[in-house]
Amino acid sequence: MLFNSWIFFLFLPLVLGLYFLLPQRWRWLLILAASYLFYGWWKWEFVIIIIVSTLLDFWVAQKIDASQEKAVRKRWLFLSLSVNLGILFLFKYFYFFVGSTDWVQQLVHPHQKIRDLVDFLGKALPVGISFYTFQTMSYTLDVYYGRAKPEKHLGHFAVFVSYFPQLVAGPIERFNHLNEQLKSKHTLLFENIQAGLRIMLYGFFVKMVIADNLSYTVTSVFNEPSKWPFYWNWIGVFSFSFQIYADFFGYSLIAQGVAKLFGINLMDNFNRPYLSKNITEFWKRWHISLTSWFRDYLYIPLGGNKVKKQRWVINVLLVFLISGLWHGANYTFLIWGALHGIFYLIERFSPIKLRSTMVKGVLTFVSVTLAWVFFRAADFNQAVNVFNGMIGINDGTRQLDTQPFIFLLLLIFGIMEWHRGNLRFDDYCKQYNGFQRWTLYCFMLFCILVLCGTEYQPFIYFRF
Amino acid sequence: MNFKNIILKGLAVIGTVFLSHFIYSKIYWEPELKDQGYMLFNLREFQWHNDVLYLGESSNYWVSPNDTDKRTISDMINDSIEGMRLSGMQVPAYHAGMFLPIIELIDTNARVKKLVVTMNLRSFGKPWIYSPQESALLRTKCFYQNASPLYNRLCATLGFHASPSADEQDKKMLHCFEFDTLKVDFELPHNTIKTWCEQEKFPLPEGGEDFPKRVLADHYIKGYAFQIDVNNNPRIHDFDNIAEVCKQKNIQLYFNILAENIEWADSLVGPSLVYFMKTNRDLLVKRYSEKGVIMIDNLEKVPGQFFGEKDWTTEHYTQEGRIIVAQNVAKTLMLFKDK
Repeated sequence: MLFNSWIFFLFLPLVLGLYFLLPQRWRWLLILAASYLFYGWWKWEFVIIIIVSTLLDFWVAQKIDASQEKAVRKRWLFLSLSVNLGILFLFKYFYFFVGSTDWVQQLVHPHQKIRDLVDFLGKALPVGISFYTFQTMSYTLDVYYGRAKPEKHLGHFAVFVSYFPQLVAGPIERFNHLNEQLKSKHTLLFENIQAGLRIMLYGFFVKMVIADNLSYTVTSVFNEPSKWPFYWNWIGVFSFSFQIYADFFGYSLIAQGVAKLFGINLMDNFNRPYLSKNITEFWKRWHISLTSWFRDYLYIPLGGNKVKKQRWVINVLLVFLISGLWHGANYTFLIWGALHGIFYLIERFSPIKLRSTMVKGVLTFVSVTLAWVFFRAADFNQAVNVFNGMIGINDGTRQLDTQPFIFLLLLIFGIMEWHRGNLRFDDYCKQYNGFQRWTLYCFMLFCILVLCGTEYQPFIYFRF
Repeated sequence: MNFKNIILKGLAVIGTVFLSHFIYSKIYWEPELKDQGYMLFNLREFQWHNDVLYLGESSNYWVSPNDTDKRTISDMINDSIEGMRLSGMQVPAYHAGMFLPIIELIDTNARVKKLVVTMNLRSFGKPWIYSPQESALLRTKCFYQNASPLYNRLCATLGFHASPSADEQDKKMLHCFEFDTLKVDFELPHNTIKTWCEQEKFPLPEGGEDFPKRVLADHYIKGYAFQIDVNNNPRIHDFDNIAEVCKQKNIQLYFNILAENIEWADSLVGPSLVYFMKTNRDLLVKRYSEKGVIMIDNLEKVPGQFFGEKDWTTEHYTQEGRIIVAQNVAKTLMLFKDK
C-alpha cells in the first residue's frame, strides 16, 4: 500500500478510529495486523520475511541477554546478522553477485523449479527490505552492546519491526526511541491530530506536487539524453536532484505525520540538506537515520577516527561504498557511494579552504547533484550518456514540453524550505495566525488537487 | 476550539475543493485531456459535427513510407459516403474496453447516430488481454469516467484503477500459453500455444534454422491460435456492453472486423491456424448479428502483399489495403444509410 494511493485514504481513518476505540492492551494487535495488511497489500508472500526476521531477532536478543559469556553472545549475534544479511543478499543482491542466470540455462536440463526460483529471486524485491532489515539488526546490535534491554513481549517487538508508517522507507528508528513510545498509552489529542495532518499535508504537497511533476523531465532526459540540447540535460539532472529530495522528504513527512496522529514521534530524516556547506554537513542532514545507522554500527565499530590515517581513509571509503550498495544492487550505486567518499576525503585533505559560505554551498550542491546522475542512471552507459549530453556531445535538437509552472512551484517550495529554518513544518505553522495558516493549507490543497502529477508514482525509495 | 471555528475551517476546505474543481475544469482539463485522454478530447467536438464516428487504433492511421495516398481509413470512408459526414477517433493499442466508456459518454442529443467500431481479432487473444500496456490504458480510462473532471484526475493520480505489472501480465499470458487447450474435432498434434510453437520448425537447406521465419510463425500462433470463450473473454464482455449501450442510445452500430494476413498465416503455420481465425470470426459475426449489430467482415479481404509490416502480426495496411477496408465499410454504411 502506498501513502499516495486511494486505499490508504480508507485504511488510515479506519485504523486510527479503531485504535482509539480499542482498550490499550489490544492496540498492539491492531497495529500489527494493520502493518502486515499495509505491507501485504503489495505482496502478501513477503510478510513472511518480516515475520521470520521478527521471530529470529526476538529469540536471539533473549539469548544474548541471557548469556554472560562474550563468545556465546557473539555467536548469537553472528546468527542474527548472517540470517538478516542472508535474506537481504538473497532478495536484493543475488543477481548482482551471481552475474546473470545464464549459468542456470547452461546446466544440463535444469529443473523447471530451479529456473523459476532463480527467476523469482531476480525479479522479486520485497519493498523496503533494506529499511526493516537494518532496523531489526540495530535492535540485536543494541542488545549485544548493552544499549537496550530485550523486549519480552513478542507482539510488541513485532510492532516495532513492522510499524506501518515507517516500514517501507524509514526513518530507520532505534529500538529505545520507538519501542517505548509504541507501548505507551496514547489518548486522542487534538494537538496530535492537528500536527499530524499539517505534516501529512506538507508531505503530500512535496511528493505529489513537486516530486511527481519533476518526474517527466527527469525520465525524458535520462531515457534519451542525446535527444535533447545540453541545457535540457542540465535541467534534467538538477530536476532529479530536487525530485529525489522531494520524493523521499515527502515520504518521511507523511510517515511522521501518520505516526503523529497515533501520538508517536518519529525522528527527522532530513534537515534541508541542499543548504549544506560541505559534504560532511550534507550527510548530517540527508537521510539522517541511515547516516547515523552507518556511523553507530559500522564506522565506529571499524575504529571511527581513532585509527591510523590510512586505515581511516579505507574505513571512510568502505562506509560510503556500503552505503551506496545499500541502495541497490548496481555498479551505479557503488560509484555514487564512492564519489561521496572521495568528495568527503577531498574536503578533508584539500589545502584550499574556501571562505565564502555561498561558494561552499553551491559547490556542495553541484557535487551532490552530479553524483546523483549515477544514482538515477539505470547503468554506467546511461550515466555517461547523460554527462555527454550535459557537455554537448551528440547535442540533440528536440525541446522538452515541460510546463513552466513546475519551476514556479519548485521556487515556492525552495522559499518555504528556506523560510522554515530548522523548525518542523507543524511548528513553523504555529508562528502564523489562523488566517495565514489556512491560506497556506488551502494553497497546498489546491496544488495537490489541481497541479499534482497525473502519473501514479510510487516513492523512489520503496525499491530500496 | 469552538464550533464556529470548526465550521469556518470546514467551509475553507470545501471552498478550496470547489474552487479547485472550477479552475481545473475551466483551465487545465482540456489540455490535460488532449494529452491523457485523447479520444474523449476528440469526442467532445466530433459528436456534434458528424453523422458517423469511426473508433479505431493504429490500423486507421498507419501509412507505409511508399504510399502516395496518405489518407486514413476513416478519411477514405468519409470521401466515399455521400450525404454523411464521418470522422475517425483513434489511439494506438486501444481495444473495445477503451471504446466502451467513450461510447457511454456520447450525448443522446448529439448529431452522431452511427458508430463504426473496429473489431480486431487479435484483441481477443491472450497477448493483447495480458498486454503490458493494460495498466497504462486502465489509468487513461479514469479520464473517461462519467464523473467530475477533477475526480477523474484524482482517480488517475491515486491509482484508483487496477494496475497489473508487466511481470504479472507476462506470467498470466505464459500460463495460458501452457495450459489453455485448443479443442477441435479434427486431429491437432499440438493443443496448446506452447506445444504448437515448439513444434514449428523452419530448417534451412544449408543446415540450421530460418530464425526470423520461426519468430514470425510464433507471433502468428500466439496472436491467432485461440478459441473465444464467450463466457470469460473480457473483449466479448466489452463488445456486448457496447452493443447494449448503443441500443439504449439509439445509435446504429457497425463492427468492422479488421483484415488479417491470412495468406501469411497459412504459408507460415498452415491451415489449422487459419481454421481458428475463421472460426473465431464466424462466432463473432453470428453472435453480434443476433444482437442487431451490422457486421462488416474484412478478415479475408486484404491480400498479403498489402500488409505494410512483414515481420510482425499487425493490421497495418498499405494504401491499397486501406482502400479495400474503407470501401467495404463505406459500401455497408451506404447500404444502411437511411435505416
